[in-house]
Amino acid sequence: MIKVEGLFKEFKLSKKQKQENGTTDDVYRAVNDVSFECKPGSIFSLLGPNGAGKTTTLRMISTMIQPTRGSIEICGIDVVKNPNEARKKIGFLTGSTGLYERLTPDEILKYFADLNDVPKADFEKRKEYYYSLLDMHHFRSKKIGQLSTGMKQKVSITRTMIHDPEVVVFDEPTSGLDVITAENIIKLIKNCKEQNKTVIFSSHIMTEVDLLCDDLAIITKGKLVYKDSMANFRGQMKADTLTGEFIRIVNEA
Amino acid sequence: MKKIIVIAKKEFLDIMRDRRTMIRMILIPLLVFPLIMNIVTRVQSSQAEKQAEKELTVGYILNGQSKTSIERMSRMPNYKFVEFKDTTELMSSIVADKTDIGLYYTHTFQADFDSGYQANYVTYYRGADMEDYDRFSTLLDKEDSVLVDNRMKSVGEEYGFIEPTSVREVNLSSLSEIIGKYAGGILPYIFMAFLFMGCMLPAIDLFAGEKERGTLETLLTSPVNRAQILIGKMIVVTSIGLMSATIALIGLFVSLNMLDAGSDLMSAINQILSPKLILTLYLLLVPLAFFFAGVMIPISVYSRSYKEAQSILTPLNIVMVLPAMAGFFPGVELDYTTAFIPIVNVVLATKAIIAGNADMVLIAITFISLILLAALSILIAMRQFGKESMVLR
Repeated sequence: MIKVEGLFKEFKLSKKQKQENGTTDDVYRAVNDVSFECKPGSIFSLLGPNGAGKTTTLRMISTMIQPTRGSIEICGIDVVKNPNEARKKIGFLTGSTGLYERLTPDEILKYFADLNDVPKADFEKRKEYYYSLLDMHHFRSKKIGQLSTGMKQKVSITRTMIHDPEVVVFDEPTSGLDVITAENIIKLIKNCKEQNKTVIFSSHIMTEVDLLCDDLAIITKGKLVYKDSMANFRGQMKADTLTGEFIRIVNEA
Repeated sequence: MKKIIVIAKKEFLDIMRDRRTMIRMILIPLLVFPLIMNIVTRVQSSQAEKQAEKELTVGYILNGQSKTSIERMSRMPNYKFVEFKDTTELMSSIVADKTDIGLYYTHTFQADFDSGYQANYVTYYRGADMEDYDRFSTLLDKEDSVLVDNRMKSVGEEYGFIEPTSVREVNLSSLSEIIGKYAGGILPYIFMAFLFMGCMLPAIDLFAGEKERGTLETLLTSPVNRAQILIGKMIVVTSIGLMSATIALIGLFVSLNMLDAGSDLMSAINQILSPKLILTLYLLLVPLAFFFAGVMIPISVYSRSYKEAQSILTPLNIVMVLPAMAGFFPGVELDYTTAFIPIVNVVLATKAIIAGNADMVLIAITFISLILLAALSILIAMRQFGKESMVLR
């Protein structure tokens, strides 16, 4: 369960940034009074154009940065007051996630399992589960630097899930990936839903959203401009296509 | 603590597999001194051999004087004496590098010598080839001694009459004392230079490198706080730095041993490298390594890429290592002022220990001031690493 209430994030602007942005404001408000809830067993999609505030929101949820105002609860844990406890519940994956090139998948997974205090037996069981699910056995001992993008993505997926998080945060998880590699992510997101996990993912690809999500919110210029179920979104559409409707809502905001 | 160990273990494994770091941190420090010493001694000895084997052409103008001296000197191996008619011809030949040395006897040389006056000759040489002239000077000095001896005998006196005193020098300083005074600064300098370089690459790789590769975000969402991440990584940075410096010293020691095994110099060096010195050196260098890491890490955290961090940290190398040269100057010693100057204090303290005149109060001041400095730099590093504007820049 993710509960976001009255979330704000402001970044201080340097003189140079003010000049570049043509503003006299001392701060830039990247997220402006955002509230939503994501329920277990459902997939919540945060949609928005580039620079809308999606990544900033997801970074706050996953405790990487702190909100200026507002609150975030992960499974009832306040992420600002108790970030380490919240982190144990979170799995975080982005399309640009890097891996340690000089380590092997086995070593990387062990590292993150140890950081998450995963008991040895659970670690082995989970690792084998994902190795089989994603067909990873043949490259488990190869260094990451020798793997293809698809193989790396599989390692990233397993790394995200190794501590069996209750909440999984995907920040544009398929960006820059080919369709075959992106398919693994889609598979993972569906798998998370089946396991009754809370899933939030950001995207601007409507086909992906259509395929996966149960609820969605559209964010632009830091503000939520739409928030409802995917079924209602489809039902209330004024444009011909999902993408057209998304563009219409963003433009009218 | 467990998380810090997990992070440090992983970082060790990761960095040990980085060929670039390993070459610069382990292989170069290990091989640099044996290689340099080997090349220098080979070049030096081959140059000296060549010089001794080279036939020196000495042009002379007798000016009607006796040829006895020339005949005596020409019996020496690797000398060729050629007679010239006038000085212009002789000088041109020397300038053209056809003749190495010129010797001109004045027309009254023999008469002056026989009358008990000072007999004169002129030597011509090229200052650019001083080694040739030095070699010939030795021969000429020998010939002069023969002439002095002959003259003394002609008046019935011994050589000692003209050289009334003879000095036998007895040096009561131990070799380690002399090394401590004049070369004692080199040891901590080498140690410090390699310590700095040893800390630099891991400091860049573990922070700016991780940021550039996109792995930092994942780490920040793991249930470890930033202080634990920082300390875990810092342990690796300082350990690699200390390892690199230790390997450089081993390389230096091995190459000196190969060069001069069983000599007085080696036994003095063995005496200098006592367990007490090594222990004190490490006691001072561990906080210094943390200080170096504490300076480098905020820069690395601030940098967007490996390259950016490297371009800022490389010039810093000079700022950090330059004060270490304080130990090269014999007059600069550890006192109540220098004991508070980081880097300088470590060099001077080590030098004092080597020379055997270390003041324990000053060593304690050095140690405490370094600990405080290291703590301060760790705090600054922690603050910087805690800033999201820095980490996610």
